[in-house]
Amino acid sequence: MLSKMLRWVVDRFGLGPIWDNVLDRQVPKDPWYHGDGMALLVLLTMLVVTGIVLALGYCPAIDEAYQSVEYITHAQTLGWFVRGLHYWSAGLMVVMLFLHFCRQVLLGGYKAPREATWLVGVFLLFIVLTTSLLGYVLRWDERGYYGLRVVLSAFQNVPYVGDRMVLLAQGGPEITSLTLTRVFATHVVLVPLLLLLLVGYHVYLVILHGTTTMGERKEPIDTVEEQRELYHEQAEHPVKGEVFFPTAVIKISPWSLIVVTLAVGLTLAVGPPELMQPANETAATTASEEWWFAWYSALIALLPPAVAPTFQWLFPVALFVLLILLPFVDRSPHRGWRKRPLATTLVIVLILAILGLSWLRHRSPWTGWPAAEAPSVPRGVILAADAEQGRLLFPKYGCSSCHAVAGLGRSQVGPDLARMDHMYSQAELREYVLHPPAGVAMPSYAGHLEGNDLERVVAFVLVAQTFPRNIE
Amino acid sequence: MRRRTLLGLLVSGASLLVAGVVGIPAVITGLSPALRPPRQETWRSIGRLSDFPTGAVGMGIVVGDTTVWPRSFRSQAVFVSRQTDDDVVVFSRSCTDLGCPLTYDPGSTCFFCPCHGGIFAQDGTRLAGPPKGPMYRYAHRIRDGVLQIDLSSIPPSA
Repeated sequence: MLSKMLRWVVDRFGLGPIWDNVLDRQVPKDPWYHGDGMALLVLLTMLVVTGIVLALGYCPAIDEAYQSVEYITHAQTLGWFVRGLHYWSAGLMVVMLFLHFCRQVLLGGYKAPREATWLVGVFLLFIVLTTSLLGYVLRWDERGYYGLRVVLSAFQNVPYVGDRMVLLAQGGPEITSLTLTRVFATHVVLVPLLLLLLVGYHVYLVILHGTTTMGERKEPIDTVEEQRELYHEQAEHPVKGEVFFPTAVIKISPWSLIVVTLAVGLTLAVGPPELMQPANETAATTASEEWWFAWYSALIALLPPAVAPTFQWLFPVALFVLLILLPFVDRSPHRGWRKRPLATTLVIVLILAILGLSWLRHRSPWTGWPAAEAPSVPRGVILAADAEQGRLLFPKYGCSSCHAVAGLGRSQVGPDLARMDHMYSQAELREYVLHPPAGVAMPSYAGHLEGNDLERVVAFVLVAQTFPRNIE
Repeated sequence: MRRRTLLGLLVSGASLLVAGVVGIPAVITGLSPALRPPRQETWRSIGRLSDFPTGAVGMGIVVGDTTVWPRSFRSQAVFVSRQTDDDVVVFSRSCTDLGCPLTYDPGSTCFFCPCHGGIFAQDGTRLAGPPKGPMYRYAHRIRDGVLQIDLSSIPPSA
């Protein structure tokens, strides 16, 4: 009776071909770490489910968006968990997508006959990055609001159409209620729809063309026919091949288990991201981007002004074009990373650059900021009265906003006063403060810092030059 | 022409027509904010001129219009630098790099950007960081002792 019912369901719902062509098909054996793609599918499912629940409680209105996120987090039953899971799944998705991308570059996953799989993947990469940004704009706190402003400013730099792009994204000449509804509609309707369609097509192509196998990695392959012959030979081989479900699925599932455990673990341990102050253009803020965009922020900060405005919009466009062209440019027959030193070097450099830039952004040594504290002096050093008074004047005249002293102080915009290129005399220092040389990132203090105050500040800097490079 | 080819062309043509009838208005509506003519002058008051002391940098507030749809995003701040009675400059608070909000430090008389290291002098000139140029300046006028700025005088993203 049960098997009769099952046969009916399979027949009437057309499940037979899915079983035969997808689940019951033979595939070449894959190592466990090839499960990153499946982990991305799991994360996408988590994002869709949690996203739907969040959308039920969210209000896309400028006066209520922030409060609605607070309500979801603190008043709805398990709202904090759903929001935390959505947030951490989004962050992990960006990380996993990057790792997936690196693996495809390392193993030549874009080579024939998988060019279309790669091209759809490139679109997915950019769509995921876009929606991960729009997601935190929806919080409408300082971070979200200024994240939006950064994107609009990058649009503004696009030649000829920049103004129009900003007007289109804002929904008018300024940020209004229409701006937030546009972000909301894009994040919860347009992008997920595109994402689901493209992910479905990507998965279809993966089923059709398979993934880069161990066999393909070992020998050079010149033609598509050669690749297909090798692939099917391995798939049907009693030792080198296996059935996709459940054998292969179980083997490649560790990544999925890892990301789910991480997302749930981080939600329980850290919780959802704390909201910053509500978006408010009249308040002072040190808003920054989400951690997965920190590397890009650092990259922009390091650029010279002649390049920065163009780079901000051209970099994503150039990267997109480069990735689209990659399958048509790299025609070498090798697929494994051992025989492709250029690709391997590129991936290693990319990973190191992203980690290094993210760390640099965390420190942000380029940021000057008003500081309220006077600089410290080495233990045991007693300053003369005028130098001590100069030390205490440092915050008043904003010296600490840009200068560290002997490694203490956040900003490194100006040189550390204990690590200057040479010892300046009292007269030189006075002249430097009042009339900084052209091209130096220091304002002229002429007319602002005078008389005794000037002499006291100069007296302290004179002594600070003799401090050890690091104060213990 | 074969019958099948003709029918195929008819079906394709009809599909295109329907797609056009539905799609073109939808696209035009979606793009409408970008298709409007250039911005008109929009003058807003930011306070009485006497509220901004000479020789200092103060903050003015532009109150957004929340009475009509689409509602403005509340209020935005601008910097008013008044060096002499007549020498008034109104700066946007947005960094010319990527629009982050500048903070004024009266000690160093500099404007600092929290994002990518942009630093500007009191007269708005760039001192450091990736900003491409000086701070944005609003066109301003004084009407009956009230300082007004033209919101359309700086880029829409600023």
